[in-house]
Amino acid sequence: MKRRDFLAATSSFLVPVMVGGMGVKAFGANSPLVQSLMKTDALAKDRVLVIIYLNGGNDGLNTVIPLDQYSQYNTLRSNIAIPQASVLPIGSGVTGLHPSMTGLKQLHDNGKLAVVHSVSYPTPNYSHYRATDIWMTGSDASVQADTGWAGRYLEDRFLNYPTPPITDRDAANATMEDPLAIQIGYLTSTTVLGSNQSMAVAINDPASYATLVGGGSGGTTTDLPCCEAGDLVAFIRQQQALAIGYSAEITAAHNAGNITPAPTYPTSNSIADQLKIVARLVGGGLKTKVYFLSIGGFDTHAGQVQSGGGTNNNLGGHATLLGRVSAGIAAFQADLQQRGIEDKVVGFTFSEFGRRANSNSSAGTDHGVAAPMFVFGSSLKRQMVGRNPNIGGYSNLPTDLNGTTGNQDLKMQIDFRRIYWDILIDWFGRSKTDATSLLFNKSFDTVSLFTDEVCTIKTGSWHDEKTWSCGRVPFTTENARICAGHTVTLSANATIKNLQNYGNLNVAAGVNLSIAGI
Amino acid sequence: MNYSLNAYAQPLTVQQAAHLLRRATFGPTQANIAAYTGVSSTLAIQTLIDNINYNPPPPVDLNDAKTTVGQEYVNSSYDSTLARNFDFRFYYKYWWINMMATQSGNPSIIDKMTLFWQNHFVTTEAAVDEYRAIYKYFMKVRSRSLENFKDFVRDITYDPAMLKFLNGHDNQKGTGGAASNENYARELQELFVVGAKDFAGNSNYTENDVKAAARVLTGWRYRNFYTNGTTFVESYFTSTRHDTASKVFSASYQNKTINTPTTAPVGYNNAGEFEIDELLNMLFAHPETAKFICRKLYRFFVNPNVTQEIEDNVIIPLANIFKSVDPTTGRTFEIKPIIHKLLSSEHFYDVGNIGAIIKSPAEFIVGAHRFFNFPVPIIDSANLINSVKNHRTYAQYIYDRMTEMQMALLDQPTVFGYDAYFQTGYSRNWINTSQIGLRNSFTDKLISGRTLVSGITPLVTIKIDMLAMVDLTNVNHNPSIPLPPNYDVTNCVHIVELVTMNLFATELTANQKTFLIDTIFMINQPRTNWTTQWASYKANPTTTNINTVKSKLEALMKYLLRMAEYSIC
Repeated sequence: MKRRDFLAATSSFLVPVMVGGMGVKAFGANSPLVQSLMKTDALAKDRVLVIIYLNGGNDGLNTVIPLDQYSQYNTLRSNIAIPQASVLPIGSGVTGLHPSMTGLKQLHDNGKLAVVHSVSYPTPNYSHYRATDIWMTGSDASVQADTGWAGRYLEDRFLNYPTPPITDRDAANATMEDPLAIQIGYLTSTTVLGSNQSMAVAINDPASYATLVGGGSGGTTTDLPCCEAGDLVAFIRQQQALAIGYSAEITAAHNAGNITPAPTYPTSNSIADQLKIVARLVGGGLKTKVYFLSIGGFDTHAGQVQSGGGTNNNLGGHATLLGRVSAGIAAFQADLQQRGIEDKVVGFTFSEFGRRANSNSSAGTDHGVAAPMFVFGSSLKRQMVGRNPNIGGYSNLPTDLNGTTGNQDLKMQIDFRRIYWDILIDWFGRSKTDATSLLFNKSFDTVSLFTDEVCTIKTGSWHDEKTWSCGRVPFTTENARICAGHTVTLSANATIKNLQNYGNLNVAAGVNLSIAGI
Repeated sequence: MNYSLNAYAQPLTVQQAAHLLRRATFGPTQANIAAYTGVSSTLAIQTLIDNINYNPPPPVDLNDAKTTVGQEYVNSSYDSTLARNFDFRFYYKYWWINMMATQSGNPSIIDKMTLFWQNHFVTTEAAVDEYRAIYKYFMKVRSRSLENFKDFVRDITYDPAMLKFLNGHDNQKGTGGAASNENYARELQELFVVGAKDFAGNSNYTENDVKAAARVLTGWRYRNFYTNGTTFVESYFTSTRHDTASKVFSASYQNKTINTPTTAPVGYNNAGEFEIDELLNMLFAHPETAKFICRKLYRFFVNPNVTQEIEDNVIIPLANIFKSVDPTTGRTFEIKPIIHKLLSSEHFYDVGNIGAIIKSPAEFIVGAHRFFNFPVPIIDSANLINSVKNHRTYAQYIYDRMTEMQMALLDQPTVFGYDAYFQTGYSRNWINTSQIGLRNSFTDKLISGRTLVSGITPLVTIKIDMLAMVDLTNVNHNPSIPLPPNYDVTNCVHIVELVTMNLFATELTANQKTFLIDTIFMINQPRTNWTTQWASYKANPTTTNINTVKSKLEALMKYLLRMAEYSIC
């Protein structure tokens, strides 16, 4: 039975549909899914986003290390500093990754990983709960919002959820049979919260999912008790209906996604376990657009490194977590490649805040502000957004440290909603108008994650990082574009791969812009 | 809705008695419901308080392979060579679950209160790790649950387990660029006493207040963790680690300054104790403190959905009582009077609050064990090994199911506690598409049955005996199950009436009952078929005849326990 028919049947009925104590048999093994796999939609419609939440507030400065300012880094946190020789340099070598993240270094070398430096938002909040809410809803710090940014996107794109037929505005209102979003685990997150309900279904083990949920009661809005109790019963019945309605699709995709040789994943790694399920479901043809995963333990107030100093600082709790994230994502990317669906999937990591720039006296770090995000996928066009925070290495430039000695936070370079903006527009194909309304009527500058060239976001100096979408001066290997209405002033020699000029370029006397070409 | 905190004046109906017991305990037995029916609202809550045993038998060693099996261990000398820390930590969870589930003695509110406060002042067994520290913390939470809230907070602030869990132990005056550890100072304000924001969403204090409070709290440490030969853990103050500079707070706290006295004032052992009292006086003077605690108690015990009307008419009046001097003790911030007030009020018994919470995994699982009469197997010295096995396995099964359902006892995922007690949606967070499956799986097992430990005597089976439930002549029939008027086992309408007695917090509609009778129980056969089938079973109890009636009854019960209505309380 199709999910649509199932829900149609239950909505004309009041209480659970189950006969003789079992209902799961009512669902035919032949899901419409297999047929729908044959239909190839345009790429944008099939795109998938994987969100990985690093729960607790990840210590950014020990994740992405400013090798160009190693001595200042070491001064800020000598009791937990990663030895210089152990850091894994990426790109030109001024930036490095934690030594446990060999997998992510490899992805970066292969052009499949972007580091976005110092991500946060104005007026940062230090409470886990509130900061998580801000990131998940995509609101300003001063605004209390109750829907998630991805939930709003799904609600806007797919009509009628959860009452079938659910239709996809992006595919000529074709019927959507599959869950819009899936959270691996047992709880659903604010990120995927729509205006009336979560837009996600939660699954833990796709293999046993159908058996577990089979035959539950899936009724609708009649025969309810009064008051709050009535709302709760309606809510539970709706979740029961969703569970049963989607179980056939999830099982079918999980079966279809079983390939040989079996993809290799690290063991004893909860995030790898979750990513493995995602790859198999996407590979099996599930049309779900958003997956939400999480890994906890990042609230490292004390003892985040193994005691003993020196290279012991490369070990300990934080190193284990970063190693899991890195190895999990690397295995996931390899799995997607093996399945030939690498271009369909993009993912990112986020945490509710970074941690203090200086460590505390207990070999840990307290709640802080900005931290790097990782974006991964073969469709990325940018490997670096922003630059190392200035933690004192560049006395001629503004510092990126806030606060008094011993209480220093890293300032924001990139608002997290600029990443959401690029995902909504360049990955999911929303218009700027739509993206603005999805982000509480605010528009943001791109960070050029998915475009061939970086572009200007305002009039200004060529040499000012704030002139450019990528939050830094373009690399000599990058294409750049001066947008209409912007005037860029070049006051020192620079090199660029190619330049498209739709605005104005003022070149000071005696100064050259070299075009390296292809 | 009736918002009055005045005592509900009528004797409790069956439904109201069950409502109180579902909220104040982990779910009633049929006998409990009968005992509280017809009682006054004030006597009912007073009885649940008076029944508290503040000196429960301590946990015992549940490892049947050890010579110390069945013996108490919490005061024994620490011995790392025995490698028992892990076992001993775990046995607290089993011990607590068995206290929640017990059907011996009279029901009390203590375990529900303890869960509330343990989830308020979270420390986790996994992070604290040391079995004596966990016991000390747990007993503190349990014994203070209905006493003075300020004493409670002070005790928790010094608690060795908390000093470990929120890094108080590591918190010392900033040196060489390193700051004090802010972890406890933040949660003390955000989660334990004041709350981050008021009801309207305004911040209750500043980020600088967190830093200042962290400095007040510097210098406290714990000792004896894992130390061989010691019999207890304790906390102590180290003045050299204490930050003696002035701590200045924001206007949220009336610009209070806390200074370190040169000598400890009278009544204090050291400057650190004095400063903590200063800090607590300041936090308790904050106008939001009483409201924050009352609101959280309200959400836990009455209704997670706090509207503006409830804030104005229930929370604020209750907070005013909390802040005022209690005539019995002569002190402010007494917990018992507000619990008594709230759980005997007209508002609590308003129909709008009945069924207004989705059962937590503890309420769902322990509640089923109690309602369907599966008592905790007692430890019997005459049959020590087997009885310990049964006793341990009973709790372990409940613990494992609760953990799957995201309610790992004594092991909250974060210091915020379980999601369902703070996240938007509150108790709805217990339910989603994967939780549905786990709940189904648990209740199905109550019907299909399971043996606690196979191959031993006594063999304990957890299985709802449907034939015994409906048949008054069955030797295993539980006489405390209330019967419908003129009950007739051969009438399928009566069967549905009987098995749904007190099962749900809310009433089923006539439509639903018809559906249950005809579609679920009779599978669309004529109702009279049941009369015939029952008669055949009684006259000639062959396997076939038994199975005919049993499978119908079991399918019905399986269905009822999968209904959404069963998940609310």
